[in-house]
Amino acid sequence: MSHKGKNSAGSSKGKKPTKSGAESKSEDVLQAVVLADSFQDRFRPFTVEKPRCLLPLANTPLIEYTLEFLAMNGVNEVYIYCGAHTDQVEDHINRSRWATTSRSSPFSVVQFVRVSDARSVGDVLRDMDKRSLVDGDFILVHGDLVSNIILDEALAAHRKRRETSAANIMTLVLRSGGLVEHRTKTNGITPVFAIDAKNQRCLHYDEISPLQSDHYITLDPAIPDELSTDFEVRADLIDAQIDICTPEVLALWSESFDYELPRKNFLHGVLKDWELNGKMIYAEVLEEGYAARASNLQMYSSISQDIISRWAAPFLPENNIIPSQKYTRLSNGAVIDNSVTLASDAKLSKSVVGRFTTIGAGSKITNCVIGKDCKIGSNVTLENSYLWNQVTIEDGAHISQSILADSAHVGEKSRIFSGSLLSYGVQIDKNITLQDGVVASTVTSSGAPATKNAKLLGDSTNAGVFYDSEDDELDEQDPSRLQKSLLYSLANLNISTSTISTLASAIDSDDEDDGIISEGATSTRSRLPSFASDDSAGRAGFHADAVHGLVDALRAETGDFDSAKLEFMGLRLANDASDHMMRKAVAAAFARRAAELLTPEHGSLEPSKAAEKALTARKGATKFIDEVGVGGGEAEQVEFVLQLQKALQYVKGVETPRAGILLAALLQQLYALDILEEEGILGWWKDARAVENETLTTLKEKSKVLVEWLENAEEEDDDDEEESDDE
Amino acid sequence: MPSAVAGYAPNLDKYLKSLKGQPLELSIENLVSLLKRRQIKGAEPCAVATAHIILQVVARSKWQNVDALLDNVSRVGRKLVTAAPTELVIGNIVRRVLGLIRDEAAEDRNEPQSEDPSDGHATPTDAVPNSTVAKQDSAGGYLNNSPGPQSRPGLIVSQSSVNIPKSLFHLLSASPPADSDHAPGSPFAGSGTSTPQHHKSSSSQVHALRSEVIDGIEEIKDEISQVDDQIAALADVQIHSGDYLLVHRPSPTVERFILRAAVKRKFTVLIVTEPPRKHLAEVQHASFRKKLSAAKITVVNILNGGLMAYMARVDKVILGAKAIVANGGVISDAGAAAIARAAKESGNAVIVLGGIYKLSPETPFGEDEVIEWADPSSYVDFADGQLVGSVDVRTAATEMVPADLIDTYVTNLGTHTRDHLSTLIADHYKPEDIDFHLWDDARR
Repeated sequence: MSHKGKNSAGSSKGKKPTKSGAESKSEDVLQAVVLADSFQDRFRPFTVEKPRCLLPLANTPLIEYTLEFLAMNGVNEVYIYCGAHTDQVEDHINRSRWATTSRSSPFSVVQFVRVSDARSVGDVLRDMDKRSLVDGDFILVHGDLVSNIILDEALAAHRKRRETSAANIMTLVLRSGGLVEHRTKTNGITPVFAIDAKNQRCLHYDEISPLQSDHYITLDPAIPDELSTDFEVRADLIDAQIDICTPEVLALWSESFDYELPRKNFLHGVLKDWELNGKMIYAEVLEEGYAARASNLQMYSSISQDIISRWAAPFLPENNIIPSQKYTRLSNGAVIDNSVTLASDAKLSKSVVGRFTTIGAGSKITNCVIGKDCKIGSNVTLENSYLWNQVTIEDGAHISQSILADSAHVGEKSRIFSGSLLSYGVQIDKNITLQDGVVASTVTSSGAPATKNAKLLGDSTNAGVFYDSEDDELDEQDPSRLQKSLLYSLANLNISTSTISTLASAIDSDDEDDGIISEGATSTRSRLPSFASDDSAGRAGFHADAVHGLVDALRAETGDFDSAKLEFMGLRLANDASDHMMRKAVAAAFARRAAELLTPEHGSLEPSKAAEKALTARKGATKFIDEVGVGGGEAEQVEFVLQLQKALQYVKGVETPRAGILLAALLQQLYALDILEEEGILGWWKDARAVENETLTTLKEKSKVLVEWLENAEEEDDDDEEESDDE
Repeated sequence: MPSAVAGYAPNLDKYLKSLKGQPLELSIENLVSLLKRRQIKGAEPCAVATAHIILQVVARSKWQNVDALLDNVSRVGRKLVTAAPTELVIGNIVRRVLGLIRDEAAEDRNEPQSEDPSDGHATPTDAVPNSTVAKQDSAGGYLNNSPGPQSRPGLIVSQSSVNIPKSLFHLLSASPPADSDHAPGSPFAGSGTSTPQHHKSSSSQVHALRSEVIDGIEEIKDEISQVDDQIAALADVQIHSGDYLLVHRPSPTVERFILRAAVKRKFTVLIVTEPPRKHLAEVQHASFRKKLSAAKITVVNILNGGLMAYMARVDKVILGAKAIVANGGVISDAGAAAIARAAKESGNAVIVLGGIYKLSPETPFGEDEVIEWADPSSYVDFADGQLVGSVDVRTAATEMVPADLIDTYVTNLGTHTRDHLSTLIADHYKPEDIDFHLWDDARR
């Protein structure tokens, strides 16, 4: 199971003879995992009856593009997870040329992975980890990917990095998308990557949506401090979610049992906890090639247009990638099958027309994809629409910006506009006008027959308006709402207009996290629960919960501190908190408790007494600080003192000089308890971060006496250093 | 191509390596996919791949007689032609092989067509009854005393005296002479002796034919690999000292041609290039320019747009052909037609270089049939969302240079004029094979 890269001598073949390929999983076999189910319902109502990966895009099922992409890159073994409508996908692939039984498959292994009760991508990948199907570098893609990128360079770069360090586990393949609006970028959710400009390491991932009230992302201050001095924050990238992974990626999924989405949860989480897991992820930003995922109807439309405009070459209808197709390109840019019957005065431009379709006289078709066996009457106007197979459009109808699924029927002179979706077999009566994205289906979201809506769709209809029951459960501000319709629109949505600032918030974010608890002044920047719940707010949430738990435990008169410790560790695991965050929480808890004891309600103790009581009143507390709060060498001690200092600047009800005395008392106590050593305190004294602002400086000044005493104790015989003896 | 070998993406080299270990069907399908995905593209790679796969078909597919072989080859050929209809060389190679098989078969069979002159130019439908006869010959030979097997051996004798060039294998193989001694004398001889002999003869004939055809394909492969050298050998005749030559996106053939001339002559080369794209940092044709400078040839790079200003100085325009169609039109990189027209207006000679295997007997009805369209990225950056969203960009990768703009064709067989092309076509292709790729559609 060694998956280290190997010497170039053995890597001569991307293709291996079918016979030996399955047996010897040698290292130059490239594997791929295809996630054919996305656990989303953005293609409803079409996906009620058919899986997304079999929906036709430019008259070719989506999965074909994905598999072609893999074959193009010399992938040898393919593992497909089907999910919803497993039977249909398996049947499709088994009957296609991809099946290993067909003798013409470029793959030596095509295996379906069945995961019972998987509810997210995360569940699937965790299951893959358990089965250890993949044993080397593999390509992770989704079943709705359309791409012509040759991954050789990215793979070579990935392999090289892996040879340098096993911690380099993953390479994201991204396409730059330019700064201006672009149809192939996903609407509604904009991915934001922070990428090191020199070594392409991905430092941070976030998503922003127009529904957020705050148009900024929060960067961990550790990124500029420790990881990189030269990095770019890019929101222009087209992310088709092509990932080159090592098996460690799957292991990492297993470790994080609650991650669901590959980007929002996994990538964000792994990058955030780089200290904890020590893994590194890189990003290859390509300037050439095409890559996009038909992840929603808007992207479906965009990719169709890209294919008509030939961006996805060579995966174009006229190249007849699917063996049964016989398209040819006409000089006017239309691509039609040889068997199409086209009336002489029909106008066809920038469109794709499938086999045995007839188009009547005087019809005008622009920017459309029309499937096979369709009947288009005379004087029909079609614009920017997608008609699947066996669709019938009667004379004089006008359809624009709509999708009509298999066997849909539109009556004479009906008009269907702007984002309407007609699902399988839907019949529309004549002289009907549909506006504003009507979604009609013959079945409900659960698969039961729909009730007819004769008022809207005409007397002879068999369909009703499709209503997705799950929509109600969605948060009002969930960005995925924006992706559910064919046309992207921000109308009727309440969008805040806060200023866009990324850097400012990144710089003071460190203080802000503390501020959320005590200041309450950041209300204008309060985050939306829907977006922030899983990550950035999760961090603040951890801090708040942990501090509250610890302070409560310290306040209690009796009871064992071990239970508080257990609770704290549990909280840490659940939130995947880093050491840094833990230290901060412990410091804040003790600082708050000590400060509390100074106040009249708690007995107005003297600072030294308060410090002593806070630290030693509870049995086990000192041990806890030693192990969890500090737990390490000089650097950690400095860090802890720094956090104590910072925590004290926010405590309520205590004036700053007094808090400073408290800090000195705490330090003295901690020194006496052997938790902090001279080096730690002196290190903090010299640290530039301790004097970042006025309050901190004031707090620090009060510890001068202690520090001098320490210095004297340490360097008794060194007289030259004792300059400030005169105070 | 050491850099390509390291990767996983399939290409011509990897494909050729994979041929040996794979079942024939898989190899064919793989090549079809590679052609469709344009992972094998360009005249020479396509020709090489076609020659290799056809060789595999001849060597490994099941066939008992000539017609079955012809059928196999043209069936595979059709698949390849439909996979990449704009690569005319694929069809050319298949036609060459078909012609080769017919020639060899005619030698072996003593030209079965010559028995019946009316059958001489058999139409595809005529081939079917022929094949049934042949099958009976091999299977139930002694029961079926058709005149075919009797007359054939007799003719072999006469034929061999006429037809001097025979392969070594053919001369050594003992069965046809043995057959000719016995068969006419004892057509109704005991089944015990004649049956094994007939079987032996037909299987050894198949064997002989197979190895002859394979030899022939190997010759075609050699020819493809030597084309550039042979064309370059003609450079001295075309290029003279003091000439101003204009080349457009020089292909390896053109580069070789000019470098060969540079050994003896001193001249000036103007290279017409495309506008550079932002992420292509290196200078176009850098290595060619370096080699020319080493040969002390003056090189001038000019952009396509500024071409006309230089045309007055130019003496000769040299274009590399991707394919030459029957009427003399040349398929070349996009931009070549404008240069050829400009040269014509200024009265300059236009010389087209291309191996004889690029000469196609087809004449396309329209330019559209043979032109390869590329994705728009060579002119528009995909990252430019506004252009991508609202502008229809059409990028032709190749275009047709009309025959009347071309003065001279230089092939590995020599220098030709347009009138000469039809003779060359007749020399290289059999008339019955010219439309082989259309049979499939006609039968349906």
